[in-house]
Amino acid sequence: MAEVYLARRRDFLLRTQNLDGGWGYFPGKSSWLEPTAYAILALHGDDGASSELTRAWRLVESWQLPDGSWRAGAQVPDGTWVTALGVTLCSIRGDARDMLVKGVHHLLRIQGAERCTTFRLMELFGLGKIEMDTSHPAWPWRPGTSSWVEPTAHTIVALKRAGKLVHDRWIWQRVREGEQALLTRRCADGGWNHGSASTFHIDAPSYPESTALALLGLQGRPIEVVRALAMAREFWKASTSPLASAWLAIALQAWGENVPAPDDSKPPREDTMLMALQALAHPQGNHGLLRTRAAL
Amino acid sequence: MNRRAFISLAGVGAASAYVATKIGKSPEPALAAGPAGKSGVAILKAASYEVDLVRPMLEGARACGLDVKGKRVLLKPNLVEFDAATAINTDARVIAAAYEVMQRLGAAEVLIGEGPGHRRDTYDLAEEAKYFEALPNFERVFTDLNRDDVTAVANFAGEGRFYFPNTALRADLIVSVAKMKTHHWAGATLSMKNFFGVVPGSVYGWPKNKLHYVGIPEAIVALNRQFSRTFAIVDGIVGMEGNGPIQGRPKQAGVFVMGSDLVAVDATCCRIMGIDPERVEYLRMAADMGHVRANDIEQRGEGVASVRTPFELIDRFRKLRLS
Repeated sequence: MAEVYLARRRDFLLRTQNLDGGWGYFPGKSSWLEPTAYAILALHGDDGASSELTRAWRLVESWQLPDGSWRAGAQVPDGTWVTALGVTLCSIRGDARDMLVKGVHHLLRIQGAERCTTFRLMELFGLGKIEMDTSHPAWPWRPGTSSWVEPTAHTIVALKRAGKLVHDRWIWQRVREGEQALLTRRCADGGWNHGSASTFHIDAPSYPESTALALLGLQGRPIEVVRALAMAREFWKASTSPLASAWLAIALQAWGENVPAPDDSKPPREDTMLMALQALAHPQGNHGLLRTRAAL
Repeated sequence: MNRRAFISLAGVGAASAYVATKIGKSPEPALAAGPAGKSGVAILKAASYEVDLVRPMLEGARACGLDVKGKRVLLKPNLVEFDAATAINTDARVIAAAYEVMQRLGAAEVLIGEGPGHRRDTYDLAEEAKYFEALPNFERVFTDLNRDDVTAVANFAGEGRFYFPNTALRADLIVSVAKMKTHHWAGATLSMKNFFGVVPGSVYGWPKNKLHYVGIPEAIVALNRQFSRTFAIVDGIVGMEGNGPIQGRPKQAGVFVMGSDLVAVDATCCRIMGIDPERVEYLRMAADMGHVRANDIEQRGEGVASVRTPFELIDRFRKLRLS
């Protein structure tokens, strides 16, 4: 059964690769870095896909921008949060040191705009107030905007992996700060949503996919995530979202838990990102590539 | 640094502080003069989602002179999060009725697209909200606008380059099929705020924080200037009061509100909800695009007074209450 599940997704990915080497979010659409990165991770180590992986890697190489960030997609030349995925891919390959270093340094320069001096001064003088602890720098979706859970989690994973190859003490300092930022943004129910735990002092609920991603970012912090792991197990049982289920399976396995092979009775959606994540999340998939050690 | 820039930096959290300082200021400057002539807005009663929704919607479309013949129409619902205990999203049966109405009126193609601001799995959200059940061909006609291919437009909201989904840019007409709700930052979320969902998450994230940086009222207005070939159908059969757009309580108003002047549609919805539209910041800012004043709006179908259903407002918006 596992072979059929994985082969179906592998075949889908091989069939839907674009001529430029990347993948769109959906078949026939233009390439974006996010689905391309997950497809590369899903196919990593597959000898039968080596030419596809070579073409994909060439695209990833060509999409790094002079400032070290990665462009979001074929039609979007702006560097965004996907830089974290570019750095993770470089760490996994291990033979793209210059790209890796540039990417890491870019990530170290970026933080949520809520941390800028002017904002903090205005907050200090009572000209505005926000409901979250902004004392720990985290990462935004786009430079110059506020930080959120998902880009922070992806960046922590990227920096933890890169920290084995690039020796820079700021990496671990930012990782620790990022972890603290995630912990301060936890929802009252123990999980995470996109990053607003409350609005006007009313608690907001957590989401399964955000909880899974935060748990990936917090690998190595077992004491702080006991409730979140319990929540993730509950989400895993109850979630109807295939995307959330895939991220939950990846996160729970990163935390050393056994996750049963998914049900394959329902035909999968023709969704490239989902197919890649499902292949990655399968117990026999490459989910271990997102496993990291604790921050030093 | 001005107040807007501060909000930009603070993102979502600080929006609350900003709103708190903006409402209740008086006197407000006079509203800009709207376009020439009056705008027609239709109010149709629909007691529940179980009744025939196509007939009243067709009546409303005809009363507003909606012409979709030969056009590619994009229906834009409001899908945010799912909670069976409340009424967050445009009801699937309203979308199904709108789909049928556009087909009956001769649209060349009817598509549905949405890009939720918080949740990544749009298809699962649609499934939970029963869109697949209400529209058997849903998957074929639906586009996740968060992950659509995009094209840059120049000079949107002061940005040199801003990306929008191709499905939205290529539509001849976008029908904002919104939910009648209060909103804890904007006061109300109706047909105009619904355009936040055309901003792609793949570029701007979840939430689309860039819009908070533009300023929430400013972004609502800018999006509606960008997408000007539009029509509105607001689902007020069961709306949301209190701490909307997600954590409020269901509120039955038993109406659809429809029209091609989205400013006038939203102003009418506000009056139905017991909100003074002339004090809602985004409507004040949009007053040159459409009609806010009651005298400039020709109500078709029901009158506002006959369907008025005051929605509960959170403390910071009590001053918006229509006197």
